Amino acid sequence: MTNALALPASAFSAHPAVHLAFAHELEALAMRLRDVTVRIHTRAARYDAVGAGVLWPPRARRLVVTNAHVVRAGRGDLVGVETADGRVVEGAVAARDCERDLAAIVLPEAAGDWPAPVVLGDARGVRVGEIVVALGHPMGVGGALSFGVLHAKPNDDASWLRADIRLAPGNSGGPLATLDGSVIGVNCMVASGLGIAIPAHVVDEFVREGAAVS
Amino acid sequence: MPSASPGTRASNSALRALSDDLAAAVERAGRSVVAIHARPRIPASGIYWRDGVVVATSHTIRKEQDIAITLPDGTRAQAQLVERDGGTDLAVLRFDSAPSTGAVSLAARASDDALRVGSLVLAVGRPGSEGVSTSLGVISAIGDKWRTWSGGEIDRFVRLDLSIYDGFSGGALVDADGNVLGVNCSALARGTPLCIPNATVERVVNALLTRGHVARAYLGVAMQPVRLTRALGERLGLGDAARGVLVVMVESDSPADRAGLLVGDVIIAAGGKSVAEPQDIAALLGADRVGAELELSVVRGGEQRPLRVMVGERAPATDARRRGRDS
Repeated sequence: MTNALALPASAFSAHPAVHLAFAHELEALAMRLRDVTVRIHTRAARYDAVGAGVLWPPRARRLVVTNAHVVRAGRGDLVGVETADGRVVEGAVAARDCERDLAAIVLPEAAGDWPAPVVLGDARGVRVGEIVVALGHPMGVGGALSFGVLHAKPNDDASWLRADIRLAPGNSGGPLATLDGSVIGVNCMVASGLGIAIPAHVVDEFVREGAAVS
Repeated sequence: MPSASPGTRASNSALRALSDDLAAAVERAGRSVVAIHARPRIPASGIYWRDGVVVATSHTIRKEQDIAITLPDGTRAQAQLVERDGGTDLAVLRFDSAPSTGAVSLAARASDDALRVGSLVLAVGRPGSEGVSTSLGVISAIGDKWRTWSGGEIDRFVRLDLSIYDGFSGGALVDADGNVLGVNCSALARGTPLCIPNATVERVVNALLTRGHVARAYLGVAMQPVRLTRALGERLGLGDAARGVLVVMVESDSPADRAGLLVGDVIIAAGGKSVAEPQDIAALLGADRVGAELELSVVRGGEQRPLRVMVGERAPATDARRRGRDS
């Protein structure tokens, strides 16, 4: 296999397509993730908080997954959900799990033609050093892409994913994805500079439990 | 589902190739990076540098004996601290018994020419028994030979734009092929991520294994920069903006003392080169100069005179000083 990084600088000038390809591929990836990422507004007495959320499968359930801390109980059970194309609907928080920092929002029946949900990936198959990207609204900047690598192998099935990636408030609840666009986790915090995400299979478990309850 | 189709994969094949290269580089380098349990809480990293010998950063080693080391295959081995050099923040450890084949591999090193500003690099560490971990970034600046705050000589200044996470000090900086470029360290410049290049590591390891310390040339003077008066400069034919360094202290029985250097002398040249800062003299005091003669040009009592100093070797520091800063 040729090593893309080992190309000398002259190789890049001879084949400008290499770095242009990187840019185009990342742009395409950002567009795809924007389609499955929503912006969540919660209104409290004094401020308007913004977080991210992920359109979660199955499509028929019209579910958005986010962090419990994005839709804190004190801020009410109705939250504004805005898609990448600017549509805003009011969703109802159907389940909160503060321990796993997860919440599920159900969108109303009349939400119309919603984009397809994310494709789930499995972080347990991702190698340390593999490229991962995050999408969210850091500091309120909508649809921003972050680029990094998987920092370490998860210790066990339930443990958090750690990524060497730059996240900020507003990334909470957004997707952490591999290059094929499949979502391997839901970003939830920054610890010692590392981006921390809840693995997709843990999120899916939470969603299924919610389905059993409702 | 539109996503994970073969078409999607092909559409980001350049990134995919890069991602695979990065993961392969981490895997390859990870076979030479070990975890060193020699301080409370988070262990730090080390590199299997040559047969039986592990290199680490000195500031992450808080005990000297019976140090446990987690090998890349997950097994544990015992090692002892051979020596450390607080100046370059490097430490050398030796396994009590040779690790079994396959448990750990010797680091494959890149040549120092491979260090280039803008190169994509990975920091590979093993801050515990859980496996290898990494961060991605670029080499942000490369400078000349420099001296650390504690007097160590490092062949090149290599600043990194990447995160050196807890326990990453002592780990490897690797290129995209997984070849080691040097040892990562966050304790040499106020937390700035730096890399100690292979040439320095090799030199220090050799010195510590053969002599037990890194030789450090010295004169035994304290100096400060001064500007000569215009009249003096012109009278000595040095122009009207001549500069030098003023000797403000001479250690008794030091090389400078034996050569007859006095407090109040102004050194205007050393080794045939003009001198404007104390660093100009420090730059002439590499380890290889011990025992050599250094020709000084000194202004004393308004007259210029030559002076020969036999460069001495600073006595190895005491244990406490060798240990350097704890962080």
